[in-house]
Amino acid sequence: MGASRLAEIFALMAKYERESPHGLSLCTVAAEVTELSGAGITLSSSEDLKSKWCTSNKIAQDLMDLELLLGEGPADDANRSGVANEESNLLSPESTRWMLYAPEAAALGARAVFGFPVRIGGVRFGALSLFRDEPGTLSDAQSSDAYLMASVIGRAILAMQAGAPPGGLAGELEGQSTFDFAVHQAAGMLAVQGSLSVRDALVALRAHAFATNCVPSELAERVVLRQVHIDPVTGTWRDEMGREDS
Amino acid sequence: MGRESLLIATLVELADNLVDHYDVIDVLTVLSGRCVEAMDVDAAGVMLASPGGELQFVASSSESMRVLELFQIQADEGPCVDCFRSGSGIINQSLSEADGRWPRFTPRALAQGFRSVHSLPLRLRGRTIGALNLFRTTQGLMSTDDVVVAQGLADVATIAILQHRSSLDAHTLNEQLSNALNSRIVIEQAKGIISQATDSDMDQAFSRLRSHARNHNLGLTEVASGLVEGTLKPGDLDQRKAPR
Repeated sequence: MGASRLAEIFALMAKYERESPHGLSLCTVAAEVTELSGAGITLSSSEDLKSKWCTSNKIAQDLMDLELLLGEGPADDANRSGVANEESNLLSPESTRWMLYAPEAAALGARAVFGFPVRIGGVRFGALSLFRDEPGTLSDAQSSDAYLMASVIGRAILAMQAGAPPGGLAGELEGQSTFDFAVHQAAGMLAVQGSLSVRDALVALRAHAFATNCVPSELAERVVLRQVHIDPVTGTWRDEMGREDS
Repeated sequence: MGRESLLIATLVELADNLVDHYDVIDVLTVLSGRCVEAMDVDAAGVMLASPGGELQFVASSSESMRVLELFQIQADEGPCVDCFRSGSGIINQSLSEADGRWPRFTPRALAQGFRSVHSLPLRLRGRTIGALNLFRTTQGLMSTDDVVVAQGLADVATIAILQHRSSLDAHTLNEQLSNALNSRIVIEQAKGIISQATDSDMDQAFSRLRSHARNHNLGLTEVASGLVEGTLKPGDLDQRKAPR
């Protein structure tokens, strides 16, 4: 498990990316990695889930349409609460939280559903939802894999928004740590400098790293050391001397 | 205060903290600080395993970049990784240039003035979930008492991470670990915001975050989230330091 599991996920991503670029295959990867019946990814812009991004099959798509229609379900819950959830038997649900969703989802063929928040620190990107056509909870390995997959999806969304080459996502994410202090500190600093949300600051950092052909963590370190900043007026990147950073 | 009184005070303080709605990062930061006070060590910190099995830093007795760097390197190599993988403690490991055991970690630790390290596993029913790392600026052996105290504090750290859940399945554990690690990222993002807005360095930014949280009886993560989501402005943070 561990680092090698992450390598397996990237290998799967690379394989499917050739068939379907722009990250649309991430759901297929999620379903395959967790060995569940299907997966969907929804993106949020604020509190509400705004749109579905991709689904791995027809049932997953119907489930997501249902959730968007009813405004309740695992993805919505995970996104709002920031906490993972599960309903291991839709035919006799443990709680009454999804009165409308549960029977309809069961009618579509799902028996158990699972929601995981997709986030990076305080930035919420949306949710990963998974379903299975048989009831039951997730195994230890499936649970670890789902968390891991949710983290990979968050990073993939960022990389795509920052202009990562379509079809090159796996390679892009592979060399980078999820957890680089400098990147997150720099995002906070850039947010203040450019009056951006932290999410947009993370994207701006990645985009400028792409544009100047450097590694995001190195650019982040320069930001933290105050060698480079975003001009508050023009929004351009400048070095300590005020020259445009390129 | 003598060592024993200090330890008792620490345990009381931690027990006091482990009530409803406590912030894991806050408790582990307190615990790391008390490690330095109660034992003969100069820096301490906690690393946790992500659901993917990577070790990541969550709390330390010092927020200075020189110490944080030593934790960041340990995502790949170092005493914490070895302790985590083997599940057993690494005690009294002297650091020297000649030792090729950790080619990236050792030279950085030496450059920061550290001469020996220890790492104790955070263990839960046969599973290792992370490690408590202790740094000393001197070589020589840690006393047997200190080793017992260190493992005791590592066990307290484990309890803090589990957040008094009565039934602890693997799924819940993954959730707790995942939340603790994500909290740390929120805090780093907030430190960046405070640092830029108040023209301070990262450890001053952390102190400010912590003071505000304590003064208002809020969790560190809660305050940090407010800053990241924009519901709290850096200018709204308290200026004054929290009473201890």
